[in-house]
Amino acid sequence: MSDEEHHFESKADAGASKTYPQQAGTIRKNGYIVIKGRPCKVVEVSTSKTGKHGHAKCHFVAIDIFTSKKLEDIVPSSHNCDVPHVNRTDYQLIDISEDGFVSLLTDNGNTKDDLRLPTDDNLLSQIKDGFAEGKDLVVSVMSAMGEEQICALKDIGPK
Amino acid sequence: MIRPIWEYITGLFDVHLDFGPEFGGIRGRVQAIKPMVLDRWIMPPFGWIKINTDGSAMGAPGNSACGGIFRDCKGAADLAQLQATMQAIELACSSIQMHVNPAAAEATLLSLSQSPRPYHACQFILENSQLANARFQAAGAIRDAAIREWALLEAADRRGLISFCLCFIMNNANSPEGYVLVKVASVAAQLLKRGWPDFTAAEKDAFFLEVKEAVNGSHGLDVQFVGINFLESLVSEFSPSTSTAMGLPREFHEQCRISLEQDYMKAFYCWVQYAAFNVSSRIIEAHSEIPEVKVCSAALRLMIQILNWDFRGKNAVENLKRGIDVFYDGMKQENSSLRRSECIFVQPGHAWHDMLISSGHVGWLLNFYTALRQKFSCEGYWLDCPLAVSARKLIVQFCSVTGVIFPSDGGHMQRQHLLQLLAGIVQWMEPPDAVAKAIKSGKSESELLDGCRALMSVATVTTPVVFNELLKNLRPYGTLTLLSALMCEVSKDLMENRTDDETWSWVARDILLDTWTTLLMQLDGSGHNNSLPPEGISAAANVFALIVDSGLKAASASVLSDGDEYDFLQASVTAMDERLNSYALIGRASIGATIPLLTERFSERVMRLHQGKGISDPTETLEELYSLLLITGHILADEGQGETPLVPKEIESSYTNIMEVDKHPVVILSGSIIRFAEQSLDPEMRTSFFSPRLMEAVVWFLARWSSTYLMPPERSGENKSSYENCNETQHSTNALLSFCGENNQGKVVLDIIIRISLSTLLSYPGEKDLQALTCYQLLHGLVKRRNIISHLVTLDSWRDLANAFANERVFFSLNAAHQRSLAQTLTLSTSGMKTPEASNQYIHNLTSHMTASLVELSSKNDLKTIAQQPDIILLVSCLLERLRGVARASEPRTQKAIYQMGFSVMNPVLIFLQAYKDESIVVYLLLKFVTDWVDGQIIYLEAQETAAVVDFCMRLLQLYSSNNIGKISISLSNTLRTGADAEKYKDLRALLQLLSSLCSKDLVDFASEPIEAYGTSISQVVYMGLHIVTPLITLDLLKYPKLCHSYFSLLSHMLEVYPEIIAQLNVEAFRHILATLDFGLHHQDVEVVDLCLRAVKALASHHYKDSGAGKVGLGSHATSYKEPDGKFHEGILGRFLRSLLQLLLFEDYSTDLVSSAADALLPLILCEQSVYQNLANELIEMQVIPTFRSRLTNALQSLISSNNLSSTLDRINHQRFRKNLHSFLIEVRGFLRMFVLRGHCYGSGCFLAARLGWQHGSVASIDVKQACPSSIRPTLAGFGLNGPVLNGLAILEPNPNPSGLRAKWATIGL
Repeated sequence: MSDEEHHFESKADAGASKTYPQQAGTIRKNGYIVIKGRPCKVVEVSTSKTGKHGHAKCHFVAIDIFTSKKLEDIVPSSHNCDVPHVNRTDYQLIDISEDGFVSLLTDNGNTKDDLRLPTDDNLLSQIKDGFAEGKDLVVSVMSAMGEEQICALKDIGPK
Repeated sequence: MIRPIWEYITGLFDVHLDFGPEFGGIRGRVQAIKPMVLDRWIMPPFGWIKINTDGSAMGAPGNSACGGIFRDCKGAADLAQLQATMQAIELACSSIQMHVNPAAAEATLLSLSQSPRPYHACQFILENSQLANARFQAAGAIRDAAIREWALLEAADRRGLISFCLCFIMNNANSPEGYVLVKVASVAAQLLKRGWPDFTAAEKDAFFLEVKEAVNGSHGLDVQFVGINFLESLVSEFSPSTSTAMGLPREFHEQCRISLEQDYMKAFYCWVQYAAFNVSSRIIEAHSEIPEVKVCSAALRLMIQILNWDFRGKNAVENLKRGIDVFYDGMKQENSSLRRSECIFVQPGHAWHDMLISSGHVGWLLNFYTALRQKFSCEGYWLDCPLAVSARKLIVQFCSVTGVIFPSDGGHMQRQHLLQLLAGIVQWMEPPDAVAKAIKSGKSESELLDGCRALMSVATVTTPVVFNELLKNLRPYGTLTLLSALMCEVSKDLMENRTDDETWSWVARDILLDTWTTLLMQLDGSGHNNSLPPEGISAAANVFALIVDSGLKAASASVLSDGDEYDFLQASVTAMDERLNSYALIGRASIGATIPLLTERFSERVMRLHQGKGISDPTETLEELYSLLLITGHILADEGQGETPLVPKEIESSYTNIMEVDKHPVVILSGSIIRFAEQSLDPEMRTSFFSPRLMEAVVWFLARWSSTYLMPPERSGENKSSYENCNETQHSTNALLSFCGENNQGKVVLDIIIRISLSTLLSYPGEKDLQALTCYQLLHGLVKRRNIISHLVTLDSWRDLANAFANERVFFSLNAAHQRSLAQTLTLSTSGMKTPEASNQYIHNLTSHMTASLVELSSKNDLKTIAQQPDIILLVSCLLERLRGVARASEPRTQKAIYQMGFSVMNPVLIFLQAYKDESIVVYLLLKFVTDWVDGQIIYLEAQETAAVVDFCMRLLQLYSSNNIGKISISLSNTLRTGADAEKYKDLRALLQLLSSLCSKDLVDFASEPIEAYGTSISQVVYMGLHIVTPLITLDLLKYPKLCHSYFSLLSHMLEVYPEIIAQLNVEAFRHILATLDFGLHHQDVEVVDLCLRAVKALASHHYKDSGAGKVGLGSHATSYKEPDGKFHEGILGRFLRSLLQLLLFEDYSTDLVSSAADALLPLILCEQSVYQNLANELIEMQVIPTFRSRLTNALQSLISSNNLSSTLDRINHQRFRKNLHSFLIEVRGFLRMFVLRGHCYGSGCFLAARLGWQHGSVASIDVKQACPSSIRPTLAGFGLNGPVLNGLAILEPNPNPSGLRAKWATIGL
């Protein structure tokens, strides 16, 4: 076999781009996509053609991962789409301030205080109640394209 | 709402009032205070008037209602009551028509037909009502009531009802409301059938005498008409497919059918034939429409119906002959799948010969129609008038007469018969072009269509040769020529008017195509001896040429129509498959002309493409090529459907004189298509001509073609020597096959195909459908064939493909599933290598790159940050898909390399599972890869390897579980939330599959030493796995049927094979497993319940045997104990015993489950004797009635003692217990379940009363909504409470007769 190598350049950390171009044909259901500048999760993909002997197009139906709004887009399947870089980080919850902000413990021991409580009632009550009961909670923060939101919660129990 | 009075006429109390001479004061006596034994009303003695009353209450206290009826010794109520009834019904009928309170009106009408013996009232209405609708309803009520009460009616009453109906229709024959007559006639027919076996021949003849006279016309035209109508409904009632069920078994209908056919059918036909004959002469003489027309068309219709009868013949000899007919039946079934229009054989026995064939009946019919045709210009007659339609239909029907009705004279008589018919029919369609023209200018097309149908019928009953010869007696050309001329006209019309509506030409095309199919399928079935006559072949060639040209024209015309539903190849192939198959049949019939034609058309289009290059828009030509490729594919090769298709017989047997390979037409055609396809390799050509759609057709064609012609396997019995003493057929076939054989062009063609596939994969970015075809159909089909594989691996192009796949980045932009399939295909192809070493090396080379990438990536320090980047996610998921593809292609000879592959990524997999714990897509891929890999590998693994794999799996499970347990993720969007659920379900299912495949190691093992050598115990491992997985399986997730099924099958397997280990689980895990088992026991799915029962049986048996042997068994889990705070904890077996008994006695379940329930129940009872005694006592305590109590006690006793049941758990004992349980359930379930009902009832407890035997006539009411949850409805029905359970209040009318416990439901005041 040939000696050609894959190169994975370390695009990590600071300079990492917020999106990445990917061929529309390879984006699958449950994948991510940027539509109208919003990071979305794809819930439906269908293909059609431009005329009988034309090329395939992909029709995406996707849901904004932060606002849950539904968005749609049609892209020729050989073209590139922007795929958002969706990151999830776990933090331990240390405090809930009265004005609705949370205080989170980062890996390197600092605190992160710029996140609001989630708007979802269920998750909100789980966090508040759990915190009030003194449980050790880890929250999962989803970030993409400069936005952040608490998206999940886990009780890690007494250590 | 006011209830009609007859609602009350069957109350329980019979209050007899004595209107004695001293009329001043009515002396009333309540006579019947003890329960009535009879369930029908008995008239009072002379001088008495009987009052039946009834009442009901809605709640106590609550709304109530009551009513009653006075009747004298004649039983019948007086005129006034009949009048009242009639008025009520008339009111209801008119209010339905005006749509005023229709529900109430319907209830009134229903109450008439449901009341006992409403005949008097109905007859009264029929005779006196002015309202036709009321008469109609009354007839229906007679029918309903009589069918229901038939068994109770006296013989005289039965006869009386039928003759009443018959008399009614005869007497009212001139009534303008025909539908009432039809209804009454059908009521008479149904009642006659209901009593058919009981009536004596004389009784039947008495009925029919009247009918016969009517049909003969001796009572006038109207009576004649209704007589024919009656026969019509009689025949349709006796024909099983159109009969009314009447709640009787099939044997009854069958018996009636045979009896009618033997004794009366011919007579009926005779009567109507006579009738038709008489009136027809008058019709012909008359110059305008006369009333006879109505009678005549009814008679013709009846004749059609009788000929449609499914004749069975009468004696054993004929039944024997039907052995052949059965074959015909089979043929009919088989053909019907291909055909759109049905053609039914008419096969009356030889008894009908004199009437149908030799009596000149056909001649009369044809003459009659000819006479009619001349009348079409007259007023009242036209081409589509009912009389003409029926006459044509009957003629068509005569065309399909066949079977033993014709003497065995070599078909001579039948040919004469058909010839006579054809002579008449041909006039309808000749000359085809003129007829088509006339239709275009406005003439009705029905004659032409009926003509086509007749041709099809003729085709069904004859062979192609006879079919063709028929017309030659009349015309200078054969029938096939006519057929092809018709087809031409139809196609021309189709081409001219391309509309979406179904026009006449659509219908005609379908019929004609079916005719061709019928003719040609016969050829297929019966070998080559009676192939089409030469004339037929040229006719077929004409038709086929026309089909191809019209197809081409349609294709080029449709180019611009966008949004066609057949946009995609797969869809268009399946949608048109039927039609393409019939086209292919026609094409193959004239194969000599077809192949050159296709070759010519094809090269013409290709030429046009090249000439127009850069000048004109090629799209139309592309579409034409597309449709040409589809039809050529169908002509040249059959669909394999999993097997290797052979060269079609027609192709094989033609061209016997062609010796040279290069001159063989099929070779030329295939060659030109392949050369055309090869042009797609040129980038310039590709961009200008080879659109994705055309390429799809090319790939589809190549896949279909190559499975037949490319390197065909050597046929058995054909060796080299056959070349020397070959006959010509063989040689030609060999020439055809050897063209692409292994020693000839095969390799070159294969090379071209591979290069084309490579280019479709690389040069058509984003064309998923095209690539799917290439991956799944073309390449996958190739590697399935052994003799291709061995050449495949030596090809440079294949190596290029493998190389490119392994190394080139562009392949990552393929759909991931396609990458998986490619990896699988490439791996499978290694079985063509000479040595296992080579194969393993090949796989190593193929995968080393991928595994290396994964390893390298996983060892990066900053993996946590870069892992989330979209490009890395894409890379990882593509690589995993590929590895999964390779893993799925596991075969013994490549097992080593694939094991190595998986082994090297074990660590990375775990690292990725951690890193991607929030990326459900990647997690799923990881799990699926491991599952597939373990599934393919596990049975071959050596002990040491097994230990490593098992350890790996455990770590995987633990990691997955720790990532997911206790996690709550929330999304605002509903869609995403259900999506997340589905993902979880898929993950868990993959994990369960993983555990199942680990399980299989214990059953099938090819390792050289036992795995225990390395301290691995599969059972323990799987229990550990279950322990980890079960907490993740919530009861909500078990609602996914597939997951539920895999979970319970794994669980029951584990419990059956290794029950001892479950005792070692900790309390929590144990409790969880039991909770799920309990859930499963009450599941809807029978199979799941069965699995659970098996699990319970295994548990209990294990415990019983173990504790019998003095061991711990289930230990503390099984024992009951009291907690310090006084709470009582029942042992698990006791709990199962209780819930299983509860299930068996009180709930609904499939009877299939009783046996497995018995198997589970026996060990439970043996383990927990005392619990069982307690339960039994509880049950007995709950019974109030002494008789039932003793019955229950006995039944419970015999359940555990009869049949010599012992206390062992061997096979025989289980069988005995099964029998015991069956009889136990039959004995007690009925009354025990009623007992449950009581709990829901309030008021005076009708069910209690029912069990007490109705001490007195208390009227009970139950609230349906409250008392009748769906689970007990079946029981209600079982008790005789039929009918819908209405919203609101149900009235139960108590009736003491246990066998006929009858209750009426009605709504009151709601």
